[in-house]
Amino acid sequence: MLKIQNLHAKVEDKTILKGLSLDIKPGEVHAIMGPNGAGKSTLGYVLSGRDGYEVTDGQVELNGQDLLEQETEERARAGLFLAFQYPVEIPGVSNMEFMKESVNAMREARGQEPLSAAEFLKKAKEACKQVHLPLDFLKRGVNEGFSGGEKKRNEIMQMILLEPTLCILDESDSGLDIDALQVVADGVNSQRSPERSFIVVTHYQRLLDYIKPDFVHILADGKIVKSGDASLALEVEKEGYAWLGEAQEAGA
Amino acid sequence: MSQWLEQIVERASHSQLNAIKQQALAALKQQRWPNRKTEAWRYTSVSPIEQLELGGQKDSQPQPSDITGLDSLDLLFIDGVLQQSLNNLVLPEGLMLQSLSQLDAQGQAVADDLFGKIKPAHHLFGLVNDLVAKQGLVVDVAPGVQIDKPLRIINLSSQGQESHLRLLVRLGDNARLCVIEQGEGQDPSLNTAFAEYSLGVRAHLEHYRLAMHTHKAIQVGGNHFRLQEKAQLNSTLVAYGSDLSRLDVDIEHAGEHAHAKFNAIYLLGSGETFDLHSCIEHAVPNGTTEENARGIVGDRAKAVFNGRIHIHRHAQKTLAELNNRNLLLSRRGQINTKPELEIYADDVKCAHGATVAEIEEKALYYLLSRGISRSQALIMLNFGFIQELINDMPNAALADWLQEQLKDKFSQMEVK
Repeated sequence: MLKIQNLHAKVEDKTILKGLSLDIKPGEVHAIMGPNGAGKSTLGYVLSGRDGYEVTDGQVELNGQDLLEQETEERARAGLFLAFQYPVEIPGVSNMEFMKESVNAMREARGQEPLSAAEFLKKAKEACKQVHLPLDFLKRGVNEGFSGGEKKRNEIMQMILLEPTLCILDESDSGLDIDALQVVADGVNSQRSPERSFIVVTHYQRLLDYIKPDFVHILADGKIVKSGDASLALEVEKEGYAWLGEAQEAGA
Repeated sequence: MSQWLEQIVERASHSQLNAIKQQALAALKQQRWPNRKTEAWRYTSVSPIEQLELGGQKDSQPQPSDITGLDSLDLLFIDGVLQQSLNNLVLPEGLMLQSLSQLDAQGQAVADDLFGKIKPAHHLFGLVNDLVAKQGLVVDVAPGVQIDKPLRIINLSSQGQESHLRLLVRLGDNARLCVIEQGEGQDPSLNTAFAEYSLGVRAHLEHYRLAMHTHKAIQVGGNHFRLQEKAQLNSTLVAYGSDLSRLDVDIEHAGEHAHAKFNAIYLLGSGETFDLHSCIEHAVPNGTTEENARGIVGDRAKAVFNGRIHIHRHAQKTLAELNNRNLLLSRRGQINTKPELEIYADDVKCAHGATVAEIEEKALYYLLSRGISRSQALIMLNFGFIQELINDMPNAALADWLQEQLKDKFSQMEVK
């Protein structure tokens, strides 16, 4: 599904990713944990092709295709979805119009007919209910005046509607209370399937109680420094990230 | 002075004039034809008026745009002439409508109360309108009466014609009314349309002015409001299409605790020019004003915004906000924006901002990351810029219709 090899990337002359490699197979859930500044959010931006994030070395393949050659919108149409940590507010563009454009762009890329307004509305209402957002959120401006938790749920709603093959959740748990966390996790779990893979980026182990990962990776200073199964997350929870300094020194 | 104005003055000098028209004539004789040194016309050239060639045969009778889903009481003026008899209209109780040219005692009382009294005397074209507008409408809503149906005043200018229309609207205490001024002009034409509104204590006016003209259909006009205590004004202005469209909006807080909300939307392409001068007078304490003007300027178009807020010495506890945001789509387009705050009271909150923006990178990235093409994303974001003010319009049918009109027009404009 996704193959990242020796990925190096910089932002404004500062190198953030320093040789990251990761191999994700269809249906797998990979958690990426790590201290602040390790490059967790950068990974999502680089994979989705945000301007200003420059890849200086390495390769990324999504479903056998060179991802780094593609524009942001092409990557999305190829099945990559990034749930943002801080989704942007766009007053003046309604959530509904935005998601309809986006769903139909995906459908066009897959060679499907665009959905009619009525067909889309039906799907959107279902997705909206699934993430426990009131239906009037469809009419509001994109994320406009949404609380932190509502923004996160709006991201999950988009994920449900867009049916991507690779979902990257960038700290989708940050700032959520336990109920909201449950809603986000339920949304994600409902989308798990043998064809769909997830990268769950989180600072805390808490989210992983709800979304069970197959693998856990520790990202520090732009590289994966340790990989393991779900128990690694518990270890991190107990020990914190302080040991990383030692591990790196020991490895150096 | 332009030949056009000279002729108007010349003709008026040989006519029988009432006191107000005599005053207007005297004031006009003192005025100079605007040039670049005239402060109120600094960024807008009146040369399209000078070069306008009127007269000749008109091809067809203009038809007003049909606003789908709008249930309104319609009055149609073509070239300043009312196309229907007011006698046959069945009006709700408490609503008086009279033609300016046929006033009874009640109508005359309203006219005496309003004509030239709310519109400041310094507007050159307003004085022209004072002098030559023979037709128009006088509207009076009795105190405490709430008129549910919007009153739509359609003002069409046909090809080759010059017309002048005057509107006088008085809302009694606690009265409520919605007025839609829909102005459309064929190419070429010249129209002046000035409206004066008096809002009584706790009166509520929902107001729209749609200035939708084509190319050489020139419009110069104004909306002038006086608000008594606790009156509420919610006014939206939409302008596009004309080589020269100039509107002056004056809002006077004459009574305390009045609230004025004024939104302006302009969408300009090709060689269009829109010039909006607004002036908010806070003469008394405790008034609030929210003014938002937003425009998109493409191609060789030009937008001029001059927003003045004047808070008088005794107008303590005034809250006033003025915002003008512009989006420039082309290098050849031009935007001149100037907020002008004059504050003489010390206990007030007054905020202003004027920006010429480009699309935010973060918002664009967000749309792209959802598979939306760059060109479509730019259209959505650019249009979203004015969509906010469309969404803010209380009349949903009008908002829906306008959105279609503006989207249509916008899709013809080139986005970089």
